Amino acid sequence: MKNNFVFHSVLFLTLILSQILVFNQLEIGLGVHIMIYPMFVLALPFDMRPATLMILGFLTGITIDWYTNSFGLHASSAVFLAYLRPKLFSFLEPREGYDTLKRPLLRDMGRNWFFTIYAVGLLLHHLWFFTFEIFKFSEIFFILQKALLSTFASLLMITMIQIIFFNKQKEL
Amino acid sequence: MFAVLQSIALAIHFSYQSYPRARFMSTAGDVSGKIMEIRHSVTKHFNLDKANLKLQEENIELRRQLPVSFIPLQSGMVKINDTLYRQQFEYLPATVLNSTYDKRNNFLTINTGAFQGVEEGMGVFNGEGAVGYIFKTSEHFSLVKTILSDNVNLDVFLSSGAFGLLKWDGKSSSEVYITGIANDIEVRVGDVVKTRGTGGIFPRGIVVGHVSEINTVEGDPLWEIHVKLAVDFRSISDAYVIKNLLKEEFDNLQISRE
Repeated sequence: MKNNFVFHSVLFLTLILSQILVFNQLEIGLGVHIMIYPMFVLALPFDMRPATLMILGFLTGITIDWYTNSFGLHASSAVFLAYLRPKLFSFLEPREGYDTLKRPLLRDMGRNWFFTIYAVGLLLHHLWFFTFEIFKFSEIFFILQKALLSTFASLLMITMIQIIFFNKQKEL
Repeated sequence: MFAVLQSIALAIHFSYQSYPRARFMSTAGDVSGKIMEIRHSVTKHFNLDKANLKLQEENIELRRQLPVSFIPLQSGMVKINDTLYRQQFEYLPATVLNSTYDKRNNFLTINTGAFQGVEEGMGVFNGEGAVGYIFKTSEHFSLVKTILSDNVNLDVFLSSGAFGLLKWDGKSSSEVYITGIANDIEVRVGDVVKTRGTGGIFPRGIVVGHVSEINTVEGDPLWEIHVKLAVDFRSISDAYVIKNLLKEEFDNLQISRE
């Protein structure tokens, strides 16, 4: 349990710092906005209660908001993702339930599980984010374009982070 | 739980312009400003060459306007050092610590704040053209809301004399629009767009960009004018804050009208 606390605190700090200092500075064009902090919400332990998830999501989002001048947008999307997480996880739940000793990462859960859950989670998170950022029905195609392209970019980044830093040899 | 947290977040988002309490959360805060300053101290070197070139170009342009760059064409002219002119605008130099251009509302964080005399609502420009206005200040930092934002509505005029409001559609970081110019006024591609200076925020005549495309609006007697911005928001490194010394007088006059 203590180990878990340290792991997630370090993850929180590194994800937020790299989001603020690196990924927020990358402005690729076509409306692509790489967001890696949702990984923190998705990677929280399996047995965490939904209310705790949402509070942690809110904290993550509001910290990002603070540094990107987006005033509550990231907080709102992160809470939305935390709210959806239990529902999302229950779709691909093994018959005997999730092993609480494992973590929701590529390393522990395998490729199929990881890509399905993360892609759907990120897509919904990004859709929510861009819908509220733009908030105009007439620009629905622009919202979809931004959400789809950004989901692809974010998923790619998160996958790379997980392959590089959370591999089987470096069991944390 | 979801509803509670969600309504807090969305309430902050939709009210941040009018609701000062939510405003503490921005990069103009003293803690976050400090972090942005540390980040800037590392990354500023990457753009140093480009930033220097831009400042040099601006210097050349200003030097061209100095009296030493002119030769008198008529020897009979008398130079009068008179008191007809009075300083109205002063400029505070600032370095851009952090900037975005890809979001729906784009802000700059600059390293001058209330201590140096910056106030909310002041205009900001750089050597290339108009940038935005001061959205929020703290002791040593300020947040600039750029032209690349919703509802900026900068008052501009074209070289032909027609004036309208500047809008941004949130897509390209180098293109904005002018609305409200009737299509019986002649507008040409290449016309220079400048600030009109009606709000007392900008002096009259600061360059904003030039007309790049003109379209007619279906069923409306108005032009849809595309404007290519003079400022390259992707590589903005320095800016000046405009201090209007006669702002109070101007505002009092506007209030007395009502």
